Amino acid sequence: MKIQRSLHRWAIPVVTIFSLSLVAQQTAPAQQVVATEAPEVELVMPPPESVQADISEIDLDAIVRVEVDTKQPNYRVPWNVGGMGSGNGTGFLIGKNRFLTNAHVVSNGRLIYIKKVSDPRPYKAKVVNIAHDCDLALLELESEEDYENSFENVEPLYIGGIPKLNTTVIAVGYPIGGERISVTRGVVSRVDFRTYSHSGVDNHLTIQVDAAINPGNSGGPVLQSNQVVGVAFQGYSGSVAQNTGYMIPVPVVERFLKDVEDGEYDFYVDIATSTLGILNPAQRQALGLPNNSVGVMVCEPDAAGSAGGILKPKDVLLSIDGHTIFSDGFIDIDGERVDMNEVIERKFAGDTVSLEVWRNQQQIDIEVELKRFIPYTIQANQYNKQPQFVLFAGLQFQPVDRSVMTSHSISDLQTRYYYTYFSSDEIYREKPQVIVLTAVLPDSVNTHLRSYVHKVVESINGKKIRLLQDVYDAFYKPNSEPGRDDFHVIRLVGEGRPLVLKRDEAAVAHDRIKAKYNVGFTSHIEEPEILELGDLIKQTDEEPAAEEPEKNQ
Amino acid sequence: MRFKSAISATALWCALFLVNPVSAEPTPETSIIRVNATLQEYSFIKPWEKGAPSPRRGLGALISENQVLTTAEMVVNATYIELEHPSSGAKVPAKIVARDYEANLALLEPAIKNARVFEDVVPMERTNAVKAGDKVEVWQIEDNGDGVTTEVEVLRVNVGRYFLSSSNFLVYQIKGSLQARVNSFTLPVIQDGKLAGMLLSYNSKEQTANILPMPIIEAFLADVKDGEYQGFPSLGIGFAQTLDEALREFAGISESDGGIFIRKIAKDSSADRGGLKKGDIIMTIDGNAIDSRGNYEDPVYGKLSFSHIVRGNAKVGDSVKIDVIREGEPKSLDIALVRKEPTDYLIDPYMFDRGPRFLILGGLIFQELTRPYLESWGDSWTTRAPFKLVYAAANPGFPQ
Repeated sequence: MKIQRSLHRWAIPVVTIFSLSLVAQQTAPAQQVVATEAPEVELVMPPPESVQADISEIDLDAIVRVEVDTKQPNYRVPWNVGGMGSGNGTGFLIGKNRFLTNAHVVSNGRLIYIKKVSDPRPYKAKVVNIAHDCDLALLELESEEDYENSFENVEPLYIGGIPKLNTTVIAVGYPIGGERISVTRGVVSRVDFRTYSHSGVDNHLTIQVDAAINPGNSGGPVLQSNQVVGVAFQGYSGSVAQNTGYMIPVPVVERFLKDVEDGEYDFYVDIATSTLGILNPAQRQALGLPNNSVGVMVCEPDAAGSAGGILKPKDVLLSIDGHTIFSDGFIDIDGERVDMNEVIERKFAGDTVSLEVWRNQQQIDIEVELKRFIPYTIQANQYNKQPQFVLFAGLQFQPVDRSVMTSHSISDLQTRYYYTYFSSDEIYREKPQVIVLTAVLPDSVNTHLRSYVHKVVESINGKKIRLLQDVYDAFYKPNSEPGRDDFHVIRLVGEGRPLVLKRDEAAVAHDRIKAKYNVGFTSHIEEPEILELGDLIKQTDEEPAAEEPEKNQ
Repeated sequence: MRFKSAISATALWCALFLVNPVSAEPTPETSIIRVNATLQEYSFIKPWEKGAPSPRRGLGALISENQVLTTAEMVVNATYIELEHPSSGAKVPAKIVARDYEANLALLEPAIKNARVFEDVVPMERTNAVKAGDKVEVWQIEDNGDGVTTEVEVLRVNVGRYFLSSSNFLVYQIKGSLQARVNSFTLPVIQDGKLAGMLLSYNSKEQTANILPMPIIEAFLADVKDGEYQGFPSLGIGFAQTLDEALREFAGISESDGGIFIRKIAKDSSADRGGLKKGDIIMTIDGNAIDSRGNYEDPVYGKLSFSHIVRGNAKVGDSVKIDVIREGEPKSLDIALVRKEPTDYLIDPYMFDRGPRFLILGGLIFQELTRPYLESWGDSWTTRAPFKLVYAAANPGFPQ
């Protein structure tokens, strides 16, 4: 959810007002909601606790232990295989040979086994769909026969709705502390938007419970009245906060299941627009708005987002799909106050959203077609990916993303700028990939270059570096700075001293370094997703690239 | 180390004075003035406020009839300064005649007349003769007025940091054990009874200290004397060493020559105005060959950073002759030396004795962006202060 992130960036306290209100869900109309603050809303009493805590109709065989062997990519030494590990989580049967679990349980998984309560046999499973932006995954047993023999008679779990505040929920799973299935009980403490720590950048609806949720619970069902009301997924360690576990609520689960009905996961869509609550009467007057607490002002629509080129700074959003937007960014749905993003949260790629917009003292209607916002993924944790790099004569080049920044502990100011403002300052137009010299494998050919690590590469051999592929091409195709074809010349952003390698020495050193440092392969390059932005990215222009070095001299 | 009782010292000195004042051997009791300052830092977060007053007590050397030399750090952000007789306790409010935070020197004199403050105190002579290996004395005063001298050894002479992180000057590095006393800030350093420098900092773990040396003091005093204080010039370049043979070959410099590669040129600096360019290799400055690490062979001190040629041997308005290799060709430039005031920078690198300019309008506080404002976020300000401001401070002119 881009809007949430932007609000944090601008430190506008809109998001903090949300804490105790409950969210009504269109997807779960049966679930009524309790008004905790507004007395004019009709109060619906929750069912008695004995009913809430009832899981007698649950077939425990539907709640499975998921065991995973993983291979963690090594972003620091990208040609290495990476670390092997293993872990376990929980999953549950939701339909014919479909088990739901968390994405983080099976991420980087190489081998997945599913075990049920009443059966010692592990069954080999595989990932059908995985959604890193909402931490959910669907698994199936590899063998149809295994499924028929062991799960055909197991009743799948039914997915319910949003549980009310202060009602009892039961978390079931295979957490740390023993081998067998575990049941813990607590109440719903809070319903709120929060960051999903698996990707680290996505915010969705989250339900906080005080039932113990521990490592191993992940992917397990949280139940109420014999129905699933959430998927246990994250929490705080006891040293930070007590009894604070989080589950993914039903609307997020159902959106995921609907998205993958066509067999593919297409990601959340995002309006990618930062907004500002306008509660200040003077500001309202300046915009020509009545003092009626309606409307939020657009700060910056990201060019690569759904509203890029459609919404403009200083536009005031008055309503979204017919719901009045109040000046704190909230809307009313079915009598409940929810974040305006909740409307977009429920939509899919290609859907439209209708906005009433106040622009230049006039009200206009704007339709925005929703799509995924790609540039922000540079700051997301990456999974199931082989680190990309080019190694030449001991110089290691990698495209900047969260994994590269953290694994190399990069603190260089310029590199941090490109990373942090990649989306909002539209760095991707010039540099769809920000290529950094991440390491130097010391050798006589490069021994004086080690102090230049962590800096962004501007050009190599006269070729402007916009993609990792450019690095490869600059070294391996005939490129050179004018008159300097006896050297490889690497120019870094903001650094007047070029890094130079003598071509004849570099060629010899490259093989020597490969052998000395046990380098298995010297490049891995994939076409980056960011290129889907098409026209927003400046097309390669060889002419200025050739002139660039002269400017620096 | 020498301890004397106050009575005998005073008596001895008085006797000598009566007989022959010129031949008197200077001692701490007869040369040092205590400097007491009350400091109040300016708040860069609440620019209308000053912080809690704090005392700082140090020493100064009487260098003329009524002028006392001390470090600028001693009186930084001072709200009130007084001079105190080393033993009698007679005090007089002082004013600052001149001060240079880059060279970390300040010259004080009484704001009103009080003859008792300088009673029996004789202006010090000065010496420029200190070299590595020499023995020098650090002078202190006990609470009761007795002098204490500690002999220390000069290990080496090089270029190092003074008070501001951004400016480097000549320093004497000494080794010896020193103890804290009431007035321990800024201790005079003496050779053969003559003032040779001022103690800048002391590392008690390693028992080493840095001394602000007389050549810099002399340049400061000469600058003050001519009426208009101009400060110390700088060249304004960022450079890379040229130890990398591939770089040397690429830049067209031979294996045996030294030279430093200019990476950056500060806007409006001496280098910028004089026509030095990014990518030039500086080979000599005023005839001194610069080696590939950026040092030259000083006739007195041996290997020293080239910056001393500009800072220590020249003054604002002088020219230095710089030979460079530019695009493989030798070229000679005369660079007129200038000094950039902190206010010449878009974002002031330091700001003392005043707070930031600010304006409050409807409860919104507007103020100029300065380095001290960012440093208000503490030691790790580069990661804790708002990133865009940190980035802007490092890239003046951003955003375009």
